[in-house]
Amino acid sequence: MVTIDKEKREKALQILKNSNDSKLLTHLNACVRCGLCAGSCMYYLAMKDAKFIPARKVDLVTSIYRRYLTTQGKLMPALFNAKDLDDKMADEMVDLLFGGCTMCGRCVKHCSIGVDISYIVKKGREMLAAMDMVPKTLQSTVDAAINTGNNMGIPTEEFVDTIQWMEEELVDEMQDANARIPLDEQNKHIFYTLNPREPKFFPLSITAMAKVFYAAGESWTLSSKNYDVTNYGYFNGNNAEATQIARNLYDEVKNLHADVLVLGECGHGSRANRWEGPNYLKKEYEFENITAVELMAQYIREGRIKLDKSLNKELMTIHDPCNLIRNGGLLKEMRFVINSAAENVVEMNPYGNDNFCCGGGGGKLAMSEYNERRLKIGGIKAEQIKKTGAKVVITPCHNCVDQLVQINHTYKLGVQIKTIAEIVADALIIDKKQ
Amino acid sequence: MIWYQWIAIIAFIICAIVLASDLVKLIKLGNPKDLSRKQGNVPAAIKYSFTGAMSPMAKESAYQHLPTYIGGLLYHMGTFLSLGLFIWFLINISLHAEMHVAIAIIFQIILWISALSGILILLKRIFKQELRSLSGADDYISNILTTLMQIATALFILNTSNEAFYFIVMALFFLWLPFGKTKHVLYFFAARYHLGYFYGWRGTWPQK
Repeated sequence: MVTIDKEKREKALQILKNSNDSKLLTHLNACVRCGLCAGSCMYYLAMKDAKFIPARKVDLVTSIYRRYLTTQGKLMPALFNAKDLDDKMADEMVDLLFGGCTMCGRCVKHCSIGVDISYIVKKGREMLAAMDMVPKTLQSTVDAAINTGNNMGIPTEEFVDTIQWMEEELVDEMQDANARIPLDEQNKHIFYTLNPREPKFFPLSITAMAKVFYAAGESWTLSSKNYDVTNYGYFNGNNAEATQIARNLYDEVKNLHADVLVLGECGHGSRANRWEGPNYLKKEYEFENITAVELMAQYIREGRIKLDKSLNKELMTIHDPCNLIRNGGLLKEMRFVINSAAENVVEMNPYGNDNFCCGGGGGKLAMSEYNERRLKIGGIKAEQIKKTGAKVVITPCHNCVDQLVQINHTYKLGVQIKTIAEIVADALIIDKKQ
Repeated sequence: MIWYQWIAIIAFIICAIVLASDLVKLIKLGNPKDLSRKQGNVPAAIKYSFTGAMSPMAKESAYQHLPTYIGGLLYHMGTFLSLGLFIWFLINISLHAEMHVAIAIIFQIILWISALSGILILLKRIFKQELRSLSGADDYISNILTTLMQIATALFILNTSNEAFYFIVMALFFLWLPFGKTKHVLYFFAARYHLGYFYGWRGTWPQK
C-alpha cells in the first residue's frame, strides 16, 4: 500500500498549481454537483453505482484543490467540501480515475455547465502519476513503448519479417512485383504509422492500407523502429513519458525527411500526436500531421483512388472513436470516406459526437485488473450494434477494434469488425495501366 | 442609511471584489496556448457553446431531466431578478421611488415560483440517495441561501417592514457567493468559453 507523505502530496498538488492558461482554474471551480451528467456516463449506466457519476470523479480532484489551494478550504474544509489527499482518497482516485473512466468526454458535451470532466480526470491521473500510483499494468505498456519503441515490445526483426510477409501478400494480390511496403526510406512524401496490434494481431490491415497507397500511387514509408502511433503516456498521466513517446515519432519523421506524418487508425494515438504532440514537445510541427481517415478522404476527393461501393454490400454500421470524432472533429470526414466505400451503412443510436465509447478507451485495454468492468460497460455498445442489425462494424481505431472483438465474442453479436482502410481497400478499383 | 443596509452594501462590495479578482486572474491566465494546428473555427464554436449547445435538445442533462432543467432555469431567473432588485433597492434608498404595484406583483410571482423551484431542487438533493452521496455542506448552504434570498426579496417588494431581514439575508448571500459553489455565476461563463474553444480548435463544433 502506498502511503501519501508530504513530499508526494506536494508533487500531486504541483499538477494543480501548474497552469499556463485559465482552463484548469476554470474547470476546477465550475462543477455544481447537479449530478445530471450521470445518464451520459457508460460506467454509471452499466454499473448503476453512484460512485461512477462523472461529477463524483471531478469532485475527487476539485475537493483536493479546495482543501490545499483555496483560503476557504484551508480554513473551513467541512463547509466547502474540501478533502484531504490521504491514502483512502488516493486509492479512490486510482479506482475511479483509472478504473472508472475512459476519458471519452461524452459527459463533457452533455454537462449542464460545460465542465471538461475528462480534462479534470486527466489532471487527476497526472496527480497519481506524480505520486507513483499508476496501475502497474498500464505503466508496463508505457515502459515497453519507451524501452522498445512500441507498446507491445515487438522486436524489430519480428516486425520487419511481418512487413516483408505482408509485402509478399500485396505483390500477389496486386499481381505487380513493384507493389511495396517500404521500410526506412528517406525523402518520401508520407511517413505512415501503425498501432502495434496490427503487426502483432491484424497484419492484414497493414496490407489494406498499403493497397490504398498503391492505388493512389503514393510515395510513402514505414519506420522499422519508430512506427508506433499509440501513446499510452497520454493515459498514464506522466507527461514526461508521453513527451518522449511523441518525440520518437517526431524525430523519425525528421530523420527520414518525410513531408507528412500520417497517423494510422488509432483514436488515442491520433489525439496524442495530432493534438497533444506539439504541446508535449512545446513546438509547432514543421510537417503536416494528419490521420489516415483524412488522407483517404483526400485521395477520394482528388480522384487518386476510385472506389466501387457495390463491392461492400453488407449492412454496415460505424463505431465513432471518441478521440477522433468528439475530441477530434472528424465526424463528417469519416462518413465521407465510409459512404464512398460502402453501399449500405446504418447509424447507431446515438452516434457521432454523442456516440458511446466502446469501453476500451482511457488505457482500459492495458489494465487487465479492470477487464470485468470493461466488458460490462461494453454491453452498451453491444446493444447499440445489435439494434442496427448490421453485419459489419467499421471503426478507424485498433484499440476500439480490440474491444469490439471482445464485445462481439462476449455478447455473441456475430458481426465482423473492420477498419476503414480495410473497407476502402475492399472497394478499390485498381487501374492496372497505372 | 441603517446599519443592516451598510452590512449588505459591504458584503456586496466584498463579493464584487472577490469575483472581479477571480475574473482578472482568469483573463491574465488567458486562452490555452495550443501549438497544434487549428482545424476549426474557434469564435464560431464559442458562440455555439453559449447558444445552440445550450439548447435543451442538445444536452442530455436537459432533455433527460426536463422538470429539473425547467426548475433550474426558473431558479436562475429568480436569482438574477433578485440581484437586479437588490441594486434597485440600494438606489432607491436615496430616490424613494415607488415601484408600480402591478410590476411588484409580477416580480413577486416570479420570485415565489423561483423559490419553490429552489426548494424542490433542495428536496431532490436531500431525498435522492445518489445526489445526496455527491453533496456536501456547500451544496446545501448554497441552495438555502439562494432560495432564502429570493424569498426575502419577494417579501420585501411589497412589505418594507421586512427590511432588516431582507438586507441581512442579502449580506449573507453575498458573503457566501464568491466562496461557495455559487461562484459558478462566474465560472459557468468561463467553462462554456473553454468548451467552445476546445471543440472549436478541433473542428467538433459548431455542430453541423
